[in-house]
Amino acid sequence: MSDDEEQYDPKAHKKLLQAIGSLGNVQHIQKSTRDERQTRQDEFQLVKSVSSSATDRAPRAVGLNDLVQILRTSTKHSQTGKKLKNVQSSKKVLEKPLEKPAADRIKRTIGYEGVTKKLGRWDAVVAQQRSAETQVFPLQSETIYVNTAANARALKTSLKSDLAKELEASNRKLRELRKAQIGDTTDEKELAKKERQLLQKKLTRDELFARRKELAYLKMRESQKSAKERMQNKIKSKKYHKLQKRQKMLEQMKEFELLQKTNPEAALEKLNALEKSRVQERASLRHKNTGTWAKNLQVRAKYDKDVRKDLAEQLAVSRELTQKKQESDSEDESSRKRAALEEENQEDYDPFNPWTKRKSADNKEGNENAEGEGENWRQYWSKRNHNEKLLEEHRRDMEEEEESEDQEEEKPIAKPAKKTLKKSKVKMQNGWTVEEVEPSVAPKSQVKAPPQSLDDIFEKHDDQMRAKLTKKLEKLKQRVDKLKAAPAKSKKAKKIKDALKNLKDLELKKTKQRVEIDEPLNYGNEQEEPSQKIPPPVEESKETPPLIVDTVDPNKVTTLVFTQKKTSRSAGGIGDALMDDDAADYDDEDDAAAAEHQLTVSQAFEDDDIVADFNRDKNKDSELKNTELQLFMPGWGSWAGAGISQEAVEQRNKRLLLKLAEPEKRRDDNKDNLYVNEASCKKAREHKVSSLPFPFRSLADYEASIRAPIGRNFVPETAFRMLTRPSVITRKGQVIEPMDESELVKPNRRLRHIVDKRIQRIPVVPAKEAKAKN
Amino acid sequence: MKVKMISRNPDNYVRETKEQQHKMPRNYDPSLHPLEGPREYVRALNATKLDRVFAKPFVANLSGHRDGVACFGKHPKQLSSLATGAYDGEVRIWDLANRTSIRHFVAHDGFVRGITYTRNGEQIFTVGDDKTIKVWKAQAPEIGDEEEPVNTILSRYGLHGISHNRKENKFATCGEVCAIWDEEHNDPLKTLKWGVDTLHTISYNPVETDILACCASDRSIILYDQREAQPLRKVVLTMKSNKLAWNPMEAFNFTVANEDCNLYTFDTRKLQTPLKVHFDHVSAVTDVDYSPTGKEFVSASYDKTVRIYNAHHSHSRDIYHTKRMQHVVCVAWSLDNRYVFSGSDEMNVRMWKAKASEKLGVIRPRERVNFNYQEALKHKYAAHPQIKRIARHRQVPRHVLNAQKKMRTVKEKEQVKEANVRNHSKKGKVPYVSEKKKHVLKEEV
Repeated sequence: MSDDEEQYDPKAHKKLLQAIGSLGNVQHIQKSTRDERQTRQDEFQLVKSVSSSATDRAPRAVGLNDLVQILRTSTKHSQTGKKLKNVQSSKKVLEKPLEKPAADRIKRTIGYEGVTKKLGRWDAVVAQQRSAETQVFPLQSETIYVNTAANARALKTSLKSDLAKELEASNRKLRELRKAQIGDTTDEKELAKKERQLLQKKLTRDELFARRKELAYLKMRESQKSAKERMQNKIKSKKYHKLQKRQKMLEQMKEFELLQKTNPEAALEKLNALEKSRVQERASLRHKNTGTWAKNLQVRAKYDKDVRKDLAEQLAVSRELTQKKQESDSEDESSRKRAALEEENQEDYDPFNPWTKRKSADNKEGNENAEGEGENWRQYWSKRNHNEKLLEEHRRDMEEEEESEDQEEEKPIAKPAKKTLKKSKVKMQNGWTVEEVEPSVAPKSQVKAPPQSLDDIFEKHDDQMRAKLTKKLEKLKQRVDKLKAAPAKSKKAKKIKDALKNLKDLELKKTKQRVEIDEPLNYGNEQEEPSQKIPPPVEESKETPPLIVDTVDPNKVTTLVFTQKKTSRSAGGIGDALMDDDAADYDDEDDAAAAEHQLTVSQAFEDDDIVADFNRDKNKDSELKNTELQLFMPGWGSWAGAGISQEAVEQRNKRLLLKLAEPEKRRDDNKDNLYVNEASCKKAREHKVSSLPFPFRSLADYEASIRAPIGRNFVPETAFRMLTRPSVITRKGQVIEPMDESELVKPNRRLRHIVDKRIQRIPVVPAKEAKAKN
Repeated sequence: MKVKMISRNPDNYVRETKEQQHKMPRNYDPSLHPLEGPREYVRALNATKLDRVFAKPFVANLSGHRDGVACFGKHPKQLSSLATGAYDGEVRIWDLANRTSIRHFVAHDGFVRGITYTRNGEQIFTVGDDKTIKVWKAQAPEIGDEEEPVNTILSRYGLHGISHNRKENKFATCGEVCAIWDEEHNDPLKTLKWGVDTLHTISYNPVETDILACCASDRSIILYDQREAQPLRKVVLTMKSNKLAWNPMEAFNFTVANEDCNLYTFDTRKLQTPLKVHFDHVSAVTDVDYSPTGKEFVSASYDKTVRIYNAHHSHSRDIYHTKRMQHVVCVAWSLDNRYVFSGSDEMNVRMWKAKASEKLGVIRPRERVNFNYQEALKHKYAAHPQIKRIARHRQVPRHVLNAQKKMRTVKEKEQVKEANVRNHSKKGKVPYVSEKKKHVLKEEV
């Protein structure tokens, strides 16, 4: 055996072999560990898998079949195996997933819907912001202000050092000990007090002097003040006293307000006391004839009979009020009877009671009764009289109406009659429905006869109302039918729901409309307008629904200008520079009526001779120019008296005859139905608005907006500030952050500015009411 | 003897106490002011004229960039700082109060495509053409220290825009895909795709912060939800949209600046028709930004002008231009609603007043009241022809006028043609299509 053989170590050899054998398997490149979140693996990080070479050897995934195979081998589980097999064959396989583009589209749609929903949350805020008259930026973020001072706790730290504390504690202990042992009852506080007193007693001479001086000074001040008071009381100036009084009042008011804040109960008491004193004062009848009104009357009573009467009445009233009410009993019989009855009832009244007492009590009762009764009685009669008056008036009106209607035609009466027939009462009698048919078409005489009660009148009114209602309903029905009959095309259009519907619905109407100019800027001197070469559409295209454009129709204006000239109030120069001033005289009602009925001028003025008026007005301007003015005044120039030669007089008169220029030829002379307003200034024309600017829908609204002044010379200061508030307020040097989500749930901004508060307090008047007021 | 004399009741003019103020007696009886209307009209006219007299919107020119300005980043907290990126990859931070550039560094190779501040304004994210997102500190480094990004993220895709979420520490980039990132991670949390080549702008909704929108090169606008795995919806317009801005006060409205010289305001819930078409530009609109009040927006255009629109009007309320301003690429409205910034091709950033005639500096209370009154008067009489004429008169460069003329001619021609066709065809065959409906091709689900 060689040395080599001897040295052979099987263990070491095996190890070596293993090491050599495993050489190929070892992965030298480490699999990368991910340190970043990423969805996609980098190609450099892709590493050959350890098991990749061994894939063929690796057992494939266990399937259901294998299981079944194993189960079949044992008889015990063969049944379960079969069941499993069945399950596999009978159950449906999941469907193949959608193709990727389609699936993506669905995902996108869902995502988009979610986003639109989320964005929809902002509708309300945005609508509110858009309609706000004034917006303040940056928007207030949600900041809660807490008064920390109120809840602040006192500092717990003390200034005493530890040593001082220890000393104190030891002192206390010592004292207690003493108390316990010797019965020492000296109180520290008492001692201190005594000490102080002693110190006070020991005043030096100088101190004494000083004190005396001080006292003297105080006394002097007192006397001065009292003297001042006395002097003040002697002052006769009324103004002075008035001012004084007012100042005092103001001070008291201030005190009261303070009290109200600090101690509401005391304030209430004070208020009650004040009220009481006032009532007492008023009740004292001191003011019977001392008021300014009474005094004035007294002065005038000397000369005026009526005033004397008034004064006497007033005195009588006061007397009446002050007099004891005894006569009132006798006035009202019924009340007296009741009083008697009461007396009878009160037979068991204690006779030992003082008579006067009872009587006074009775009296009081009686008085109360009488007063109450009297008032009721008066109320009743006044009511009844009033009702009767109304009734009579109504009757008269009805008669007049009837007469006029009769004169015109009979038809309108028949109509309401029909209606009344229809709605006659239906009663149930023994299972039968009985209709009470009353011919309500009464003969004329019957109508003229006084109706029995107010109810009849009301019923009549009701009928009329009902008739109107039914008419309206019919109209509505017709409209609905029309809408239904509309082509299906519109239905289709409706189906596409408007994504911005919510926003549009939420949009509020601005209380203060502002002109919005959305036109291109005008550049330089280039004035050429786009030449309208576009050929007009052929007749057929006219059938498109007519656009309702709310502009001022010049034709309409010119015709109406004239007709209104006579009736209109003068514009007062306000609208001169602003609008065609004649057009400015539209009334709201007129406008509305015009919109509804489309009244033509000729219809409106059927009975007037409009043409004559028209011509007269046309000639009116030229009348003045046609005349010659005689400037001669009798006596003027004939200083030497009468007897001047006729020739000289004529000569002079001729000179004094002012001949006006020939009447200008009117531009509308030969045109009968044309009126050219030559009085209107041509230079002013270029300052006038010719069409209704954008957000305004009616001429009246626009005019109202123009007519209301905003300057501080014409409106009070607060109104001026309110009217001139800018629509956007920003602050210098402050970053305006975009809208925050807190805006969605934020309550209304707390208003700091006084103008804001005032604006908020102004009740919102609906547009219709405002119009009605105008 | 009785002496008669005129006497007044002292109650009417004597103060009750010393502390009270003297009352100014005024009679507001309208019959005593017969000319109140005309007087106010004249005041309104004068106010309008003064408004035009004082209309000097240009505030300052911020120069310093060495190439055209490409994008803006507004600081969310500070009004005085603005970050701008240029075509040469340089980013500058401006101190607007002093109108100086306080810091600049080269952030990217090639264009800086987008800049955004984080929520607290402590960091700046920039994206560039070099496919990187870089994070910078908003504070300038110490003197002597080099400008270095805090973090650089290499993106797998090209990047064209960036937008930061207003409430979470997330931001979104666009490019080949729309990617949602977390500030803490170097990989996107999510990538959202809808078969489009390039998305060139992205914008987070400032109110509903989960929603964001992109403009794509296939003329579409795509809506996303950062929580969803899929985009939400797509609208295709007739031409490409360049920029998109959400209304900060109306969560569902956004406006896009389009290549076809118009801007379109959409409601997210009703994409098939825009709410409003905003006309007036004569060349492609390149950028749009809302005022923080959500009432107005400003737009920049390739026609070298900046226009300001009321968000609900279709015509602009004002136009800003200067002789030297070239194609305006980016525009921003300051967060205090006072200024407008515009960056243009000729390397300058300009600062304008949002209201051309507004007085800068301290305004005393009485002055303020007077301004308010004038403003109210102008509004009241806005429809009167003379006032309208004066208020809406603007001088514009000749090239704009010419372009307008050309556009008008083209439009007229089209209208004539359409009318002719309509007149010579069967009734109802050539329908009237509203201007709003013309520009949206389709809404894809």
